[in-house]
Amino acid sequence: MTKVLCITRIVWLDMLRRKDVYVLLILLGALLTALVSLNIFGLGGLVVYVKDVGLLATWGFGWILAVHIACRCLPQEEQRGTIYALLAKPVTRLQLVVGKWLGAWSVTCAATLAFYALLTAMVVFQGGTAALDGAVLIQGVLLHGAVLAILCALGLLFSTRMHQDAAATLTYVLSFAAFIILPRMPGLMARASGWHGTLVSIVYHLLPHFEIFDMRKRMVHDWGAVNGATFLTVLLYGAVYTALLLAIAWLAFRKKRFSRENLA
Amino acid sequence: MEFAIEIDNLNVRFPARGSTVQALDGLSLRVGLGEAVGFIGPNGAGKTTAIHVLLGFIEPSSGHAKIFGQDSRQSVARERIGYLPEHPDTYRFLTGRELLRMAGKLFLMKEKNLRERIDAVLRLVDIEQAADRRIGTYSKGMLQRICLAQALINNPDLVILDEPTGGLDPLGRMDIRKLIARLRDEGKTVFFSSHELSEVELVCDRVAMLARGRLVAEGPVTDLVAPGESLERFFLRTVAGPQSEQRATPTSREMGNRKQKGHRP
Ligand SMILES: Nc1ncnc2c1ncn2[C@@H]1O[C@H](COP(=O)(O)OP(=O)(O)OP(=O)(O)O)[C@@H](O)[C@H]1O
Ligand SMILES: [Mg+2]
Repeated sequence: MTKVLCITRIVWLDMLRRKDVYVLLILLGALLTALVSLNIFGLGGLVVYVKDVGLLATWGFGWILAVHIACRCLPQEEQRGTIYALLAKPVTRLQLVVGKWLGAWSVTCAATLAFYALLTAMVVFQGGTAALDGAVLIQGVLLHGAVLAILCALGLLFSTRMHQDAAATLTYVLSFAAFIILPRMPGLMARASGWHGTLVSIVYHLLPHFEIFDMRKRMVHDWGAVNGATFLTVLLYGAVYTALLLAIAWLAFRKKRFSRENLA
Repeated sequence: MEFAIEIDNLNVRFPARGSTVQALDGLSLRVGLGEAVGFIGPNGAGKTTAIHVLLGFIEPSSGHAKIFGQDSRQSVARERIGYLPEHPDTYRFLTGRELLRMAGKLFLMKEKNLRERIDAVLRLVDIEQAADRRIGTYSKGMLQRICLAQALINNPDLVILDEPTGGLDPLGRMDIRKLIARLRDEGKTVFFSSHELSEVELVCDRVAMLARGRLVAEGPVTDLVAPGESLERFFLRTVAGPQSEQRATPTSREMGNRKQKGHRP
């Protein structure tokens, strides 16, 4: 575990010491504040609106950060050639994959939590503490963390065999498709038949179901927390999905031959 | 007898656009404990590839490699190794000291022990004055030194250096030479590849020469070279045939020509 945490620490220090990350965070923070306070849609003052727009922005930012950070961890090591000195230590490739994932996920979660804190402050400022259901907020944040875990694992998986830009693009496309198309697929499955139906059904079950983690509506409209069993089942689904992706990432990375030229 | 390195009938093929490159072709080699062995050969001979197999970076197409009797693919085999890569680079956002701390942690070194060791290796590679600066601000020579320092953090029994003097000034090269001699005197096994044959001659007990993935010569320098011959002449004679020997040192006429060219405006 010490070795995994050591690798995680490298990801943290890399992020903390790069100026572009701060610029991105400050920009996103400013954007979030502007969206919420500038009353673009003429609905200002409505706490519901603040929550709705703020949560959408927070999900969007978390998504961008997760993909951006997870997809660069491994390719960077290869391009710089730092991977050689690292793997010459008694570190296994599994430890490397897990350490990098943990680094990407924890950094993303920390930044996302900062956005939630900002949003919470704005909601309380506009509507008082009554405008916020603590239990739903906690559930929502934890499930959002699970989504980020899956996203980081997906990005890391693609980056084991691809240039970081290609991996990021693929992760964006796939996760966007999962988010937008999957919830509409049951209707499609009912109509499709034959091999077409099988294909649609395979895609439906294979892609991550991000929609079940999405508590935004509950948070916005104060519908109350979901029951504990459902909540835990969804978390478990997230954990298993992440573990599976990491296992595939390890398989892809296990015997990889590195070459700087491939990626430069 | 225990060996630091045992390589048996190693074959490595790389796919290359429709065909394959045979980087190692039945390489067998042994390095005894406490030996300093120079690994030489022309560009593309397969030296780096062999080292990468030793460190478990590459799975050979056939054959196997062992480090202190353990399969080189297992991570435990790397507990007692220190390695300097061919193009050393490292996390430029860390300071020298932070890098060494991280490297030590990967060997699960205890805090007190680690602190002492960090100071010792910083002294050893003579970079103490820049230890608390970001590595991104280091010169190429300093980068080489800090990478060497992280290779030595675990006080390794086997030190593998891939062209340790590449890109260093004469002073830096002399320091590396001294360091290799010192490691050898401490009883460590040193296995290093180099194109600086005069250096290899100075610090090695033995050389292993590779050409096109095959071992073409192996033994103490004094046994390989003819009386009065340099290792460089031997290298040229072995790798490219007797005619090429003449290229080893320029004739006085060539020197004269070069001078003339140098004087042109
Ligand atoms: N990842 C790779 N893909 C394809 N071919 C490779 C790869 N790595 C090495 N090779 C080939 O294997 C052969 C041996 O290369 P290697 O780097 O081991 O040589 P070397 O002896 O270290 O050379 P140099 O002295 O220039 O460092 C070369 O022909 C090289 O082109
Ligand atoms: Mg080489």
